[in-house]
Amino acid sequence: MDRILDVFQRADFISDLIIHIELSVLATLFGLLIALPVAILVNRSDFGSTLAINIGNIGRAVPSICILVLMLPIVGLGFDNALIALTLLAISPILINAVVGLRQVSAQIVDAAKGMGLSGRQILSGIQLPIAAPIIFAGIRTSAVQVVASATLATFIGGGGLGNYIVEGFQRGDLYISMAGALTVAVLAIITEVGFGTLQRTFTPKGLRLAQARARTK
Amino acid sequence: MIEFKGVSKTYPGMDTPVVRDLSFTIEDGEICVLVGPSGCGKTTSMRMINRLIEPTEGEILIDGQDNTSMSGTQLRRKIGYAIQQTGLFPHRTIADNIGTVPGLLGWDKARISSRADELLDLVGLPPDQYRDRYPAELSGGQQQRVGVARALAADPPVMLMDEPFGAVDPITRDRLQNEFLHIQENIKKTIVFVTHDIDEGIKMGNKIAILKEGGILAQYDTPENILVNPASEFVQSFVGGDRVLKRLSLTRVGDVDLEPANGHGDALPRINAEWTLRDALSEIIGAGADRGLVVTDGESNGGPRGAITLDSIRKISHGARAPRG
Amino acid sequence: MDSADDPPTSILAFLFQAEFASEEQQQKGFIDWEWLGENFTEDVVPALLQHIFLCAVSLAIALAISLPLGILAARYRGLYGPLTAITGFFYTIPSFAMFVFLLAIGFSVGVTPAIITLVLYSLLILIRNVVTGLDSVPPETKDAARGMGLTDRQILWRVEIPLALPVIVAGMRIAVVTVIGIAVIASYIGGGGLGNLIFSGITRNFPTLYVTGAVLATLLAISADLLFVRTERFLSPWTRARGAR
Repeated sequence: MDRILDVFQRADFISDLIIHIELSVLATLFGLLIALPVAILVNRSDFGSTLAINIGNIGRAVPSICILVLMLPIVGLGFDNALIALTLLAISPILINAVVGLRQVSAQIVDAAKGMGLSGRQILSGIQLPIAAPIIFAGIRTSAVQVVASATLATFIGGGGLGNYIVEGFQRGDLYISMAGALTVAVLAIITEVGFGTLQRTFTPKGLRLAQARARTK
Repeated sequence: MIEFKGVSKTYPGMDTPVVRDLSFTIEDGEICVLVGPSGCGKTTSMRMINRLIEPTEGEILIDGQDNTSMSGTQLRRKIGYAIQQTGLFPHRTIADNIGTVPGLLGWDKARISSRADELLDLVGLPPDQYRDRYPAELSGGQQQRVGVARALAADPPVMLMDEPFGAVDPITRDRLQNEFLHIQENIKKTIVFVTHDIDEGIKMGNKIAILKEGGILAQYDTPENILVNPASEFVQSFVGGDRVLKRLSLTRVGDVDLEPANGHGDALPRINAEWTLRDALSEIIGAGADRGLVVTDGESNGGPRGAITLDSIRKISHGARAPRG
Repeated sequence: MDSADDPPTSILAFLFQAEFASEEQQQKGFIDWEWLGENFTEDVVPALLQHIFLCAVSLAIALAISLPLGILAARYRGLYGPLTAITGFFYTIPSFAMFVFLLAIGFSVGVTPAIITLVLYSLLILIRNVVTGLDSVPPETKDAARGMGLTDRQILWRVEIPLALPVIVAGMRIAVVTVIGIAVIASYIGGGGLGNLIFSGITRNFPTLYVTGAVLATLLAISADLLFVRTERFLSPWTRARGAR
């Protein structure tokens, strides 16, 4: 046990932890900044929506380590390159959920809004996005947890992060070092999952929660 | 006043128009019902008024002004819009829902708030209980009331209603219809009301426009005239084989001239003065009598107002002719 | 915890001794096709087959566990919450970390911890989908079946499960894809499979190897995904557009 604590006190542990967090936060953020506008753009077109969902599904199927590895010949090693790969990974869940979430806003609600005189932009920002928000949030949450887990693999392409310790432990034949890395990343993942879960509940408008509850009891 | 002038709508890629050369005028303060079978273009026609759909030919004038003279969005803020599924925004409170258009028009908060309360009162939902609730907490009938209130919010002169009472059970629908007619007596808006139910049309409309498939205007007239003088066989069959009886339901017993009550007294069925002639007919025939004693509520033991005879009912029905070819 | 210092890890250490010389010139997309042609059946195919085998076995075990558990959870609602919480907990832990934990508990490197991990990760999805699928069976249908005289067991197998099948298959689809991905990482702790190609390719700085491994794993995952999408749609022609879940 003390051996694990020893690892935590190493100077480079904190910096690797920070790198891991940086990678995760930035990749999720960039993923969101790419996926959400795309989802909004394709909302008008049936073809675009279906295409986006298909691309998202394929993206979701690709194992995360493969994305990291296949980027190697293209972008090489290092933090930046891990970030690019992780961002690509982060896009899919958000994209799928955003497209589906926006689509699920009932056509009658949008018709009523349009018929009452809301402009396209007002409908998007005032009606569609708020109603789709819980689903979109769920997508961000899935994405974030996945990215935290995959950032562990960044070590294989020289990206740094907590995976370094797991690998070092194996190389040195010292499981305690691996445990230090593994425990930390597990805790990180759980915090992310729970944290986003709470955020999601906070950001679901009360009216929607009631509507969801009602639909469940029907 | 709303004028349709030679309005047609054909969707690209289709051979036949959905609405064909529609021309008629809706007067201020009237409820004009658009009614007809599926595919007759009634909803399409209504949606061309607020330009949710644009006509391929012709024009629509509102109070003499072409409805394309301003942007669609601006136009719609001046026209109330209530649809069958209500389309209430689930993430906003009832009060916020009602205040949507006033908010767009820039009213200040206090004014919006009091207007919302006023309208909730109008549609029979106590503001204290309902203003902060959410659509998911309301029953179907209550949601429809909110839908109407929302359409009335900015006090638009014109209202479009597409089967606004369609999604509830018949008993609730009946009540909503009565209440709405009562509201209209006071506010006198110009209303375009779409329904597939001819009985609803007869009940609600000052004028009825019966459309045939393909958006052709079959007859545009008062309910009475349509029932008495159907313009074509289509109209006659559309209004139903019982059109004469339907017409009787347009008149109340208390409004017609009554025979003196000659003291036949107890043997006769009691007819409430508020009833329609149709219900009176039903009651009299069922009792096997040739007349009924007309009483007012609560006065069944006091002096009756008179008698209504089968003969007089028959005479009133007599004007209803079959169409000429 | 002392068993962790055992010999098996030293073999691994030898295999994966790697110094990443980052200034090294990466030969962009240079695949040694000759090498590939020569060593395909020797090195690549076994890895692929190992991988498929590993995933298939794990999935079969996971299904064998989740089906009964899911049926139970659908019947006794109180079970569902805790079950979801526990399996969800495992699902959240990154797989790489999970391997370390299993080794720490005492499993030795090899196929066993790999299968255990793969099964654990599939449980959440499969159980959740079994329950959701069974929930989606209209009560009237079950009622009619009972009225016709079917026993509870008959209702389960002849009515509920067939109707719940589309949702269950949807869950299997996600589980398969997840498992294929994690199995790649499992190679690191001796699970075999396509990950071997990837990791030794990286170690030896031999792009042909790791690209082949990665491409094959990707293709495997995508084909499995498409296969299951087809199956889903075949089972329920009324399915709407794909997406979510």
